[in-house]
Amino acid sequence: MLKVTGLRKEFAAVVAVDGVSFEAGNEEVFGLIGPNGAGKTTTIRMILNILVPDGGTVTYDGKGFSDEVRNHIGYLPEERGLYRKSKLLDTIVYFAGLRGMKRAAAKAETLRWLGRFSLEAYRDRKVEELSKGNQQKVQFICAIIHDPSIVVLDEPFSGLDPVNQIVFKDIFHELRAGGKTVIFSTHQMDQAEKLSDTLCLINRGRVVLGGTVRDVKRRYGTNSLHVEFSGDGAFMSALPGVRRALLYANAAELELETGANIQTMIGAMNGKIDITKFELVEPSLQSIFIQTVGDSNAAAPPVEAA
Amino acid sequence: MITKVVSVARWEYLEKVRSKAFLIGLFLTPILMVGLGVVPTLLITQADTRTKVIGVIDPSGAIAAPLADLVQARYRLADGSPNYVIRPLAVGPAADVQSAAAEADRETGAGEIEGYCLLGPVPEADSAVEYRSKSVGDIQLVENLQQAIRIVLSERKGLSMGLDMTVIRALNVKVDMKQVKLSKTGEKEDTGFLQVFFTAYVFLFMLFLLIVTSGQLLVRSILEEKSNRIVEVLVSSCSSTELMAGKVLGLSALGFTQIGFWALIGVIASLSFGIVLVTPGIAALLIVYFVLGYLFYAAVFIGAGSPLTTEQEAQQVTSYLVMILVLPIALAFPAMQNPDATWLRVLTFIPFLTPTMMALRIPIQMPSLWEILGTILLMVVSIFFAMVVAGRIFRIAILSTGKSPKLAEIFRWAKEG
Repeated sequence: MLKVTGLRKEFAAVVAVDGVSFEAGNEEVFGLIGPNGAGKTTTIRMILNILVPDGGTVTYDGKGFSDEVRNHIGYLPEERGLYRKSKLLDTIVYFAGLRGMKRAAAKAETLRWLGRFSLEAYRDRKVEELSKGNQQKVQFICAIIHDPSIVVLDEPFSGLDPVNQIVFKDIFHELRAGGKTVIFSTHQMDQAEKLSDTLCLINRGRVVLGGTVRDVKRRYGTNSLHVEFSGDGAFMSALPGVRRALLYANAAELELETGANIQTMIGAMNGKIDITKFELVEPSLQSIFIQTVGDSNAAAPPVEAA
Repeated sequence: MITKVVSVARWEYLEKVRSKAFLIGLFLTPILMVGLGVVPTLLITQADTRTKVIGVIDPSGAIAAPLADLVQARYRLADGSPNYVIRPLAVGPAADVQSAAAEADRETGAGEIEGYCLLGPVPEADSAVEYRSKSVGDIQLVENLQQAIRIVLSERKGLSMGLDMTVIRALNVKVDMKQVKLSKTGEKEDTGFLQVFFTAYVFLFMLFLLIVTSGQLLVRSILEEKSNRIVEVLVSSCSSTELMAGKVLGLSALGFTQIGFWALIGVIASLSFGIVLVTPGIAALLIVYFVLGYLFYAAVFIGAGSPLTTEQEAQQVTSYLVMILVLPIALAFPAMQNPDATWLRVLTFIPFLTPTMMALRIPIQMPSLWEILGTILLMVVSIFFAMVVAGRIFRIAILSTGKSPKLAEIFRWAKEG
């Protein structure tokens, strides 16, 4: 379990993280979401003791940071953190050793994980010879090989194809089933929605939304209209009763004003587009995200986080 | 704590020991050293193994024949055959010196003769004799020839003054000057100027390459770790103290591999070819300074290298350190001419120069005991402080990315910790 209380970090004149608090329990996949530069990475670096916070505390299973804690945390950094010229097997065994694993055990586990990711054939290849996606897998193995109780993953899905995203997702669930705390950051809401049990939305260094995915969505009510169609749907954002519209090529998510008349809307759409699906739904996380972040960003200029 | 330090050390060692830069340095350096140091020494001191033909242009007609006889009798190769054969090219007053010289130039160029002597028209005068050849470095040949000509001339002069030939012979004593270097304790060492010079050079160069090779490897790996965010994984896995200790340890192992390998080559060379650059005692003392210098510069490279963010800056900083390291090479000649100079002593007590200055001075003339003990103590203390300061800089610098910090900022880190 990881508990973050009132975390704060300033860089020069910029407050990158401003009083962030959240709790990620055991058997939980926790999504740390927010736009680029929101303070996600800075928060993660403080959790890992890479940066020293200017204020606030972090506890790991109730204890403060110590050398012992290091061995029970796994970390996947946002940009790839691997030695390009080194061999796969050597690299993973080294990182496992740094987390306190014995060499023999580390080697056996490395081979097992390389097998799981179909990378056995590359064990003696240099990291730089691998594709981006495969490098990300290696990085992921480095983060979980020592069986940590808290796994922190910064943007784990960048550069990963859909097939491997599913592999990662399965492992997330295995870790959760094993009683671990999995914390991952992303700015892709569909991933956060699909993967996380609990989430925390950070914007400009502050928590703007938090709770289980179900709670968050329920809080926003069933006031969205999901439409799938063919044709030009551009007019929909201007329909009466639509507060905000997310338009895609063949689908639209319309956030409705309270008391909007659905019958009138169907009438207005008829003849302009060819509707294949029309559904009243809970808003997607994407919609909630844009709504929440858009509202708070309108008030102040964007902040650059380190 | 210790296991993580060992993990880092092991990694640093194995990854670098396999790197091309290290392997090139490891093997190339001894080859370079042999090329630079041992071969010229050998060539100069080695006896000829084949007979050399030397032409003589003698306008007086009085020197060539007796010179040929004398040289034939006087200089022999190890197998008993004559060392030199004198070939008269143009002899007598009627000789055309100009065309004979042109022909001799051609023959020398073609390698038919080693070179030729151009004597003056009046042999009794103290005239200059020219020796022309492709290489003017054959000190032994020139010296032998000079001596032979002098004997022939003095015999002629003596006879003309009415002296008896036996008297003249008795006056012509052959003197072989052998250089013997005395060490402080009065022991005799059979070493010539050139050998001392090359030995000092060889050790200076070895130390220089040793430090620069691993220093560059170290800085480059820190740069990669910083630019690649590997450092985040490292620092979340172990403390920066463990990380630095591991790096220093790994790097030291690397250095000792290099020193050990070179020492082995030295031992093999001395056992199988009889090439002895230094006595085992001196070698041991040199190794002490190698180790001290290596550790000191490991700290310097960590302190100076960890705040950098680009390859260009790294090259710049490395080149400054290289300049400090090569400085004693520039001082090699004056140091040999006057090994007791006060300025040499003063420079030796600057920690950045101590190891290289000692590597230069020890083969030339053993410094006094107080200097040796004093500099060793100085280096131990300097290494301690350099490590502390480097550690303070390292801890903050490895996590700083983007713009490189200003010098004032680095000083603040070093001071406050």
